[in-house]
Amino acid sequence: MNSTRRALLKAIGLLGATLPFTACERLISSLAQQSIPESLTLPDSSEIDPSFHLLSRAAYGPWPGDVDRVRAMGAEAWIEEQLNPENIDDTFCDLRARRFETIWHEPGTCYEYKKPVLREEITRHTLLRALYSKRQLLEVMVGFWTDHLNINLEKGDCIYLKPSDDRLVIRAHALGKFRDLIRASATSPAMLVYLDGKENQKKEPSDVPNENYARELLELHTLGVDGGYTQTDVYEAARSLTGWKLRTGWRKGTVYFDQTLHDDGEKHILGQVIPAGGGEHDVDRLVEIASNHPATAHHIATKLTRRFVSEDPPASLVQRLASVFTATDGDIKSLLRTLLTSDEFKAARGLKFKRPFQYIASCLRALGADTHAHQPLIEYLQRMGQGPFQYPTPDGYPDRIASWLGTLLWRWNFAFSAVSNHVPTVTVPLEQLAQAIGGSTPFQPAQLVAYFIGRRASDAELGPLRAYQNQDHAELVSLVLASPAFQRC
Amino acid sequence: MSNTSRRAFVRKLLLAPETAIAPAGERTLVCIFLRGAADTLNMVVPRGDDEYYRLRPTLAIAASDGLRLDDFYAFHPNLAPLLPAFNEGRLGIVQAVGTDNPTGSHFEAQDQMEHGESYGHLIGGGWLGRYLRTRSAEVTPLSAVTIGSSIPESLRGAPTASAIESIEELQIKTPGNDAAAVSSILSAMYSAEVGMVGQAGKATLDLLWRVESLRGAAYSPEGGAVYLDDDFSHGLREIARLIKAQVGLEVACLDLGGWDTHFFQGSTSGLQAALIQQLAGGLAAFDRDLGAQRNRVTTLVLTEFGRRTYENSSLGTDHGRGFALFALGGMVKGGKIHGQWPGLVEESSSQTDSLNPVGPSGLKVLIDYRSVLSEVLTKFLGHRELNQVFPNFNPQPVDLI
Repeated sequence: MNSTRRALLKAIGLLGATLPFTACERLISSLAQQSIPESLTLPDSSEIDPSFHLLSRAAYGPWPGDVDRVRAMGAEAWIEEQLNPENIDDTFCDLRARRFETIWHEPGTCYEYKKPVLREEITRHTLLRALYSKRQLLEVMVGFWTDHLNINLEKGDCIYLKPSDDRLVIRAHALGKFRDLIRASATSPAMLVYLDGKENQKKEPSDVPNENYARELLELHTLGVDGGYTQTDVYEAARSLTGWKLRTGWRKGTVYFDQTLHDDGEKHILGQVIPAGGGEHDVDRLVEIASNHPATAHHIATKLTRRFVSEDPPASLVQRLASVFTATDGDIKSLLRTLLTSDEFKAARGLKFKRPFQYIASCLRALGADTHAHQPLIEYLQRMGQGPFQYPTPDGYPDRIASWLGTLLWRWNFAFSAVSNHVPTVTVPLEQLAQAIGGSTPFQPAQLVAYFIGRRASDAELGPLRAYQNQDHAELVSLVLASPAFQRC
Repeated sequence: MSNTSRRAFVRKLLLAPETAIAPAGERTLVCIFLRGAADTLNMVVPRGDDEYYRLRPTLAIAASDGLRLDDFYAFHPNLAPLLPAFNEGRLGIVQAVGTDNPTGSHFEAQDQMEHGESYGHLIGGGWLGRYLRTRSAEVTPLSAVTIGSSIPESLRGAPTASAIESIEELQIKTPGNDAAAVSSILSAMYSAEVGMVGQAGKATLDLLWRVESLRGAAYSPEGGAVYLDDDFSHGLREIARLIKAQVGLEVACLDLGGWDTHFFQGSTSGLQAALIQQLAGGLAAFDRDLGAQRNRVTTLVLTEFGRRTYENSSLGTDHGRGFALFALGGMVKGGKIHGQWPGLVEESSSQTDSLNPVGPSGLKVLIDYRSVLSEVLTKFLGHRELNQVFPNFNPQPVDLI
């Protein structure tokens, strides 16, 4: 199977080189569209189906047939599979998402491209991976760390440098060790620009350090704002980070350490000492001190629990995760294993409000849609305030419902446009999907609710939908996607 | 379904008969937040203080470049569009305003300010949210609007709050052009939903119904006002439309971001100068456009904190403390800079007080930001229950309104 797929990939690659772009996309769509099963088992409990729940939180929602698959293999087996993404064949997604040139560049070699190209490619890549990757948990964690270590493409040269940050920092360490992730981020060219690290230097004895990155490292990336650090810790951390620069001219955008701009004196941070003369290794020590701090374990445990379980993270689970963080030296896989198999996770069904990116992704996945994520689709994300890599400040897109309640109208309008194939470049195989859901009697409101929401419909839901059922089929499906229950997961 | 029967149906579902909507939004408070901590020392320039020029050898606005306000202060040259409003007494400045936040964190300080708290004393909800909850008038779907994509913290807890970018967007678009029928179904579904999502759905549908009449009507600003072609000015234009349409707008929020000028801030030109131009251009057009309505609108310009008094080694300024607050409107006692000049001596830890705890240094804070907000709430909006908005807080008189 694998070798045939490779041959297929190769053939398409060759063909793609000779075909115009749109023809190439049509070909990929025809060959790489993941199939919709002929029939689907619909949940029948009044509670959301546990497999549906897992796919709603640890993935960007179920693709047609995913719920049956998880049910058959068991949740724990699915979690283990997802924790080892390198073993998951992702050919179909790769066909859509791998072909953007700019995402493969080394730091700094993106300067030959125009900004709109860079912006479009990294954005489309991100959305296509979320929609089509079989490594769904990896993609969800990429989203999580992208928020945690937020970088806005529009600041300075970040747009040239974020593609390599996405690949070499976020994706490389998304399921690795927390400390490695933070260390990679600390001297990532994009981060050195975004939080002014490249300006942080000590040339003259009177030079004052630029504290921007050091502050966010402690406040957002590691200890958290209540983590017990002082302004002196921020200052001392900034001193340890002096001297990291970006090249200009030849090899523009690559990182080097300039000892002459480094403050090489002794530093006192969080009760620990970084001895004088550490030079470029000061940053290693700083990241180690910050990552090993108990407040960091608590902070990361809280953020993960908030993202995966509840806006008000249960203290019991946060405590357990913090212990796992400490015991495993910040092993992200171990954290996720504990989190996703916890009772708190299993109990928290249907209570989280989907953020716009998740809303759009879960709509398109549930619909089995075919898209190459062109601008018309991206515009909906921007309109709802969650365009990838567009969040201006270092705290990343908020995880709280209150920030997103103003987006309902745009969600409704997206649902009505998408299902009836009015979003240009997005195709929904509605009849095929309806057949799989309803067999000989498609478009029954009860079946649509069971399929899209993952549980039996309530009377309050069925009443209004039945009142509508003699009208347009696409709009009936849209109404389910516009319903309050589909805004939650 | 005909339009009138649809409306009747929606109204029935929402239990909101037309007569229940009392005239609200007689007065509108517009809150502009400069995200990132604006360096107001280079906006309202203390040209009479030599220390300012000593601390900012490259960034200072030269006395000859500033626009004279009085014997001590001058505007940044790019604030020129606001000079008429200042001279005519509609634009007032309050110097050395700030919070007691010691963290130097944008998010902490913004949240604290938007929540209306003192440091470490969490109240719950935003200050505007609490105001809207505790004032006596009827809530309407357009009581609180933010121009942008997300609702700011200050409106947290508001009975209703909507995020929009323009009035034209406020409609449901279905391929079958049966928005009315679809609205009925959505209304029924969201009415059956308890909690925040249900409330948000109902508020959204109600808002759509309210603005139906505004949509499509061409808008021409009054008094020859010309809005700049940027998001900030567009936002102010939409706020002006809503104010003039008298749809019950009580609080409007709008952000202007990008003020975190750690690096290469510029002086009379450059990064910050461009932002100042945007700010002044937008506010001046808004002020002109409002014309006769000026007396029922007050605009406040807030930022989370000021910046250090001295420039850093990368030609920028780091996080500081106090800032100068702008207030614009017919009820504002303008044409002057309120409050004392604290001087530019960086306070040391031995000189701290309740408003100036150990933390990032900068311009000393002399006026708690809530004193200004309290005055606007009581004197402009006529709110009587200040302790509901700012519990356990005794405002000091600012004499701004």
